[in-house]
Parts: sequence; C-alpha cells; structure tokens
Amino acid sequence: MKRFATIVALVALVLLAVFLLYPLALVLDASIRIDGTGAFTFGNYAAIVKSRYYLGSIGNSLLAAALATGLACAIGIPLAFCLARVDVPGRALLLTLASLPLVLPSFVSAYALVLLFGHAGVVTTALRGIGIPIGSIYGMPGIVIVFTLTLYPYVVMPVLAGFLAVDASMEEAARNLGGSQSYAVRTVLLPIVMPAILAGGLLVFVEALENFGVPAVLAEDRPFLAVDIFKLFAGESDANPAAAGALSVLLIACTALALLVQRHYLGKRRFSTSARSAPAKLSLTPGLRVAAAIMSWGIVIVSLLPFAAVLMVSVLRFRGPVLTWELGLDNYATLLSGSYRPLLNTLTLASVAAVATMLIGAPIGYVVARHRSRLSGLLDFIGMVPFAVSGTILAIGLIVAFNSGPLVLTGGWLILVIAYVVRKLPFAIRSSSAIVHQLDPSLEEASVNLGVSPSQTFATLTVPLMASGLVGGLVLVWITAASELSATVVLYSSRWATTTVVMYHAIEGTGAGLAAAAAAVLILVTAIPLLLINRRVNKQEATVI
Amino acid sequence: MTTIRIEKLTRTFDAVRAVDDISLDIAHGELFTLLGPSGCGKTTLLRMIAGFVEVESGSISFGDRRIDNLPAHRRDTGMVFQNYAIFPNHTVAENVAYGLKARKVSAADIKSRVDKALERVRLAGYGPRSPHQLSGGQLQRVAIARALVIEPAVLLFDEPLSNLDAQLRTEMRIEIRQLQQALGLTAIYVTHDQEEALAISDRIAVLRHGKVEQVDTPERIYRMPQTAFVAEFLGSTNMVPGVAKAFDGRNTQVAAAGTEFTVRGEIAAPGAKVLLSLRPEALQLSDGTDGPRVQARLALREFLGPMQRLHATLPDGTRLRVSALGGAAFDALPGAPLVLAYDPAQIIAFPAP
Ligand SMILES: Nc1ncnc2c1ncn2[C@@H]1O[C@H](COP(=O)(O)OP(=O)(O)OP(=O)(O)O)[C@@H](O)[C@H]1O
Ligand SMILES: [Mg+2]
Repeated sequence: MKRFATIVALVALVLLAVFLLYPLALVLDASIRIDGTGAFTFGNYAAIVKSRYYLGSIGNSLLAAALATGLACAIGIPLAFCLARVDVPGRALLLTLASLPLVLPSFVSAYALVLLFGHAGVVTTALRGIGIPIGSIYGMPGIVIVFTLTLYPYVVMPVLAGFLAVDASMEEAARNLGGSQSYAVRTVLLPIVMPAILAGGLLVFVEALENFGVPAVLAEDRPFLAVDIFKLFAGESDANPAAAGALSVLLIACTALALLVQRHYLGKRRFSTSARSAPAKLSLTPGLRVAAAIMSWGIVIVSLLPFAAVLMVSVLRFRGPVLTWELGLDNYATLLSGSYRPLLNTLTLASVAAVATMLIGAPIGYVVARHRSRLSGLLDFIGMVPFAVSGTILAIGLIVAFNSGPLVLTGGWLILVIAYVVRKLPFAIRSSSAIVHQLDPSLEEASVNLGVSPSQTFATLTVPLMASGLVGGLVLVWITAASELSATVVLYSSRWATTTVVMYHAIEGTGAGLAAAAAAVLILVTAIPLLLINRRVNKQEATVI
Repeated sequence: MTTIRIEKLTRTFDAVRAVDDISLDIAHGELFTLLGPSGCGKTTLLRMIAGFVEVESGSISFGDRRIDNLPAHRRDTGMVFQNYAIFPNHTVAENVAYGLKARKVSAADIKSRVDKALERVRLAGYGPRSPHQLSGGQLQRVAIARALVIEPAVLLFDEPLSNLDAQLRTEMRIEIRQLQQALGLTAIYVTHDQEEALAISDRIAVLRHGKVEQVDTPERIYRMPQTAFVAEFLGSTNMVPGVAKAFDGRNTQVAAAGTEFTVRGEIAAPGAKVLLSLRPEALQLSDGTDGPRVQARLALREFLGPMQRLHATLPDGTRLRVSALGGAAFDALPGAPLVLAYDPAQIIAFPAP
C-alpha cells in the first residue's frame, strides 16, 4: 500500500514540478530581472507602484472582484436559502440550472451583453430608436454583472449544503428554548452557514480576479490585471515580459492569499454529513411563497438569458456589424467556411486533455484521500496551486520554460494539453478524492488480503468502483477544457487554433456574426454533454465545491 | 501447520501506545481470541498481523517464517471484516473466487472450490446473486467463505459479528467455530464481547492499554483472573476493597464493607489492603445451612426472565449484585434483610492498587 502511494506521489510531484512549479518559478524570476541584461532588480515592482496605469489596473481588478463577490453573495445566499427551506416549484430543475453558469464559458456571457447592450447592441439600438438613451455597459458595470451572473453558483452550492446541514433538532431546540424564528435564524443558522458563505465568496473573488475572457471582451480601454498581463507578454507593440512577470506575481499573491483563507474556513467545518434530519420547509404565506419562487427562478433565468440570447443571435443575419432580424445560418457558414480545423481542434484537445487529467488526477485523488502522510499532504497542497494561478500566467510560464532548451513544446498541441491538464488537475483530484472518501477502505484491504497487490487492486477494484463518479469528472473537465480561453490564447499556434480563439479574434475584429456562431458552438459543446449526464454531474459539483 | 509467534510487538500512534510490547504464542489449529475494551489495541494488533499496520518493533512469524516484512498481499491470511467488505460490483461467486483468481487457480478448480465453500457456509445456489440482494447474516457468510476458500495460513476475524442482531450473532459464532475446527485452521478472533470470547475460544488474551493482562483458556480466565482488571472485565463482578486479617491455616478473614468475608488461602499479610472480587453468581440466598455468610439488605430487584438480579446493600452502604435463579420464588420487598452465603474458594483477592 505504502509503496503504491509513494510511487504515485513521486510521479505526480515530478510532473507538477516540471509543468507547474518550474514555469511559475521562471515567471517569478523574470519579475526580478532587468529585461535584456538579466541583472537582479526590484525595479519592475517599483515601476508598477509608480505607474498610475498599473495601479489602476490592479485597483480595477480588485474592485471588480470585490463587487462581484458582494453581489454574488447578495443573490446566492437568498437563493440557497429558498432552495433549502422554501417549497419552490420545480426545485430539482432549478438546482440543475443554478449550477450551469459555472461550466458555461463566462466570456460568452460577456459577449452576449455586448450583443444586447453594446454600442451596436440589439437593445441599445431599439431603445435609441424610441429615444431612450442607455448608459454604457463597457468597463466596470458590465464586467461586474457578468462575474456576478456566472460565479454566484460558487456561493449557492456550499451555502445550500450548509443550510441543509443544520440539524432540524438544533433549530427546534433554539425555538423550544423560547427564541422566535428570526432569533433562531440569527443564532443557530447564520453561525453554521457563515464559513460556507466565506468559502464560496472567496472562490468568487479568486475566479473573478483571475478571469481573462470577461475583461477582454468588456473592458474596452479600462486596464484590468489579467488582460494587461497578456498584453505585456504577448502584445506586439508594448511587450514588456518583466512587467508582465511582476504583475503576475502580484496577482498570484492576491489569489493565493484568498485561497488560503478560503481553505481555512472550509477546513474548519464539514457540512456534508452532520445533519441527521434536514430542517423542515418553512410554512410561508402564499404571498411570500410566490415572492420566493419569483426571486429564485428570476435569478437563475437572468443568469442563463445571455446564453439563450447568443444562441438566438447566432441564427440571425448580420449586415457588417449590424444585426438584422432575418433568420439564416450565414454565421455558421462563415465559421465553417474558413476551416473545420478550429472546431476539430477544440474537440480533440479537450478529449485528450480530459482523459489525461483524469488519468493523472484519479490516482492523486486516491492517494490524497487514502494515505495520510507528509508526502500526500504536500501533494494535496501542490495539486491545489493551479487554482491560484490564472490560465494566462501558467501559459506564459509554459512558453518561457519550453520555448528552448531540452524540451521544446511551443507551437505544438502538447503544450495546450499540458496547460489544460495542469489547470483542471485540482478539479480531477478533488472529485476523485471525494469519491474515494465514500468508498469503504476495507474493500481494498479485503482485496489486498486475498492476495492482489495494491496497485492491481487500485486498477481492477477501486477504479471500477469509482467509475461512475470519474465519468462525471471527465465530462466536466472536457467541457471546461473545450471552452478554455485564457491559456489557449497565449499558447495556440495557427495550426492549433480553437473555437475559443476564433471567437476571441472575431470579437476583437469585426466578425460579429462569426463570433456569435462560435459562441453558440461553444454553448452547444458544453451543454450537450452536460444534459447527457446531467444527474451525475450535479452530484459531483456539489461534492467538488 | 501454522503456529504463530509474536515477539515484543510494539506500535505507537503519536502519543498512544496502541500495541505495547506484546508477545504471544499461538498453536496450530487454535482459535485464539483478543479480548478487551474499546481502544485497547485489538484491531491494531490484528491489522499488524494482516500487514495493514506497520510494525514499529518486534516480530511476527508464521511457523518459522518471519512475515512482518512481507507486503500485505503476500502474507496468506484470510481476513473477515467487521462490515463484511463484500465487493459490491461482483457477484457472490466472484467475491468468493477473488482470492483464488489472484492465486492463478485454474477456472475449473475455482468453480468447484467456490461451490464447496458456499455450501460450507450454507449459501449453495447463491453464487450468481448480487451482494445487495443478501441479508447481513448472508453477507457475513460470504465474507467467511471468501476467506476460507483460499485455505489461508491464518484466519483473522475483526469483530465479525458486531453488525448482526443478537440471535444471529449466537448462531453465527457457533458456525464460525465449527468451520474453523473442521478445517483445522489457526484463527485469531477479535471481539470486545466477553460472552462471545468465552463461548468460542480455545484461549483468550485479555488486552488493556496495548498490553496483555492474561492469556488463558476461557474457564481459567473466568474463574482465575490474574488481575482485578480481568476479573472486572469478564462478567460484571462486584469489587469490594478491604483489609486482610490473620490467616488461620485455611482461610484469611478480610474486613470489608462494614462486615467480614472469608477467603480461601493466605491472600495477603495481615493489615494489607486488598480488592475482593465477588461474582454475582457466587453469592446465594442462604438456605440456613452452615458456611460463611454476610448480612445485607435488599435495595432493588430486577426480573430478567431466567433469573433475577438482586441489588443488596452491605452494612456500610456498598452495593452488591447477586444473581438468583428466577425459578426460586422470591418476593421480598426492598428494605427486607437478606443473608448471603458463599463459598470462600470462589472469592478472589487482588492486592489493592
Ligand atoms: N491510524 C491510527 N492513527 C492514530 N491512532 C490510532 C490509529 N489506529 C488506532 N489508533 C489508536 O490506537 C488505540 C488502539 O486502537 P484499536 O483500533 O486497535 O482499538 P480496538 O481495541 O480495536 O478498539 P475497538 O474495540 O473500539 O475497535 C486507540 O487509542 C486508537 O485511538
Ligand atoms: Mg477494533
């Protein structure tokens, strides 16, 4: 047993060291060297602190993330409460739909906002037509709205689990002792749910801070950290890798700090199993019930509306950048007339990455869950590092690391797959260790006891027992890899451009119709597999977050 | 032939000495039980033998072959788990065949041996079933068949019956005992249920805080406990502290609980503090014949079906439990005086701690 765990841990640590820590170390290294000469300096950081532009960029990113976190909590907590305690009609469907925004590509949602409320947006022109001026959604407002609408499930999931974990008898005890219902909510419910709120909220904060696609679509000329890092590294005119490195290190520091706090709160309490009897649904007046239903469904529908809008717009004709109301598949024709290649690339790369991620992640998740040792603790920690590293930064690190030297990967497909695997690995590790936690360890012991070696037991007994859970993980990794933008846009070569890259360039340029078609394809690519294994995934997500 | 020799075995978890310098010799074909309260290290010792817990120091040998450095899957032990650990994704027959497949037994042999093993545990015909179609007792039998069929050097049981209801538990323990004897396998059996241990064991080791308190046959463990702990752990005995008086050549008088007890033998120097163990069944309501006796008062009477338990108060207020057969018509009310008779040879004295 121990040898198997040690081998898995060592292999995993070597892989993570080469493809995660080494590239990150190079980014850090670049940030403390003078560009060109390579001499040691803190000048890059000093330059950032002195530059109003960079400070603005950091400030904007932090502000957007903080606002999104607040708003996500503001809609996520009441929604979680209604799902847990109010008899909302269509609760099961609502629950499924509420988790969708997490896996749908957020920059598609951002693009939908542009299509509807942008300079030439459908709603904007319509309103302007009847003489109502509309404020700009570019910059802070649009970005915060999109973050809120796509990230609020991170709050809903743990808080819902928290509300459900409050044992009915606890609340009854509080009320039995003479407290009113609101008193019981304040003294019993909130303290139990508070860590879940913090854990979920911090996850929103981290994701919003790292996100590249949404500000790339909506920022216009406002500086945002994730976009600036990309431009400083890959930009044609104003490239400055050293400054990109310094900004990256600052971004990682912020996200890492938030994640450490998040782990602290999550680690303190386990909500999943403590309740023996879930608390009863509240008896509300019909009026309140209707209000709760409208609010719950309203939040979920509004968050999914942008995706529906994109699907609709994709089958309308564009005349230049202007949308007409004529139906037609012209956009798709344009998308595919160039080449099938990007779509094919998306499907192939996502498939290879998903399989590889699960193949690497499942044994790690197993070892982390089953074998408590210093090595597995280290593995658990390093395996979570990718959470704190945005795709752009990881991609920059990979380019710097494998652009020359003994292992040259840039320009090929493998570097994209590596980036996806590393980025999605925490997810694979968490989902597999969650499954392993539910497996009785004596099953494996029985197998070993009967003469089957630990590694063979893992392959022939544990993996089949984990299978149904692993399929859910595989599909989720596939989906998120297929709609990955931030690392792809740094790493792709023309031969290996993906649908997300096509869409990104179409938005940057003038291919509004092309972008809508690409966005629609991305939605379908993510939604179809989800629908196929719907129930499994729901369970998975709840355990993973 | 498998004898087991455990020498100076130790295992520490952080600050806890779960197994503390234990040495045991187990004969071939013996059913050897590890008995003790929760947390005394039974499971840890068993899992060290199976290879799931690493040995810190000391050694374990089967026959003259040292096995404590072998990996678990090469130790040739058959373990029956508390929660059955039946593979849910395999049928009953596949579960039983699992260890044979690992040993590369031919398919034809596997079939006949699996059938025979299932017959042995009275599950003939259940082979194609899926485990979730079986009851708890049946699952436990599958687990036993799966461990038996590989004809392991040693059978290991970790509280195999604790998840079953009381009646099934007594049935299954007889089955386990008969199978083990019929196959002549050496077995180590872990339980914290003293009745179960007394019923099926050849010998019992009573453990406490990771150390062996006493190793003996069930009768001797029960009748001649060597420590106060063993006496107390087996059959809720009455422990009464007292002070030894003079030895009269045959018995020692002990002043205790405001009265005096007669104990066989020279148990301690006069004036030494002692602990007396008085088994509830060693005390009887006196029928007026000769012999040592004590005066007490009835405090409470529990009717338990086949017998009654009387709670008697000694002169200084010490409570004693007394077992009286239920058949004997006894209808005294609380507060009534009782005269309790006993055999001095049945009282065991320990030096007071
Ligand atoms: N993996 C472990 N890590 C830390 N401590 C352990 C571990 N396994 C056992 N212990 C400790 O070692 C001691 C002995 O445990 P063990 O499981 O052997 O007891 P047991 O006699 O089987 O008890 P029970 O009757 O409750 O099953 C206990 O104090 C326990 O807390
Ligand atoms: Mg135990």
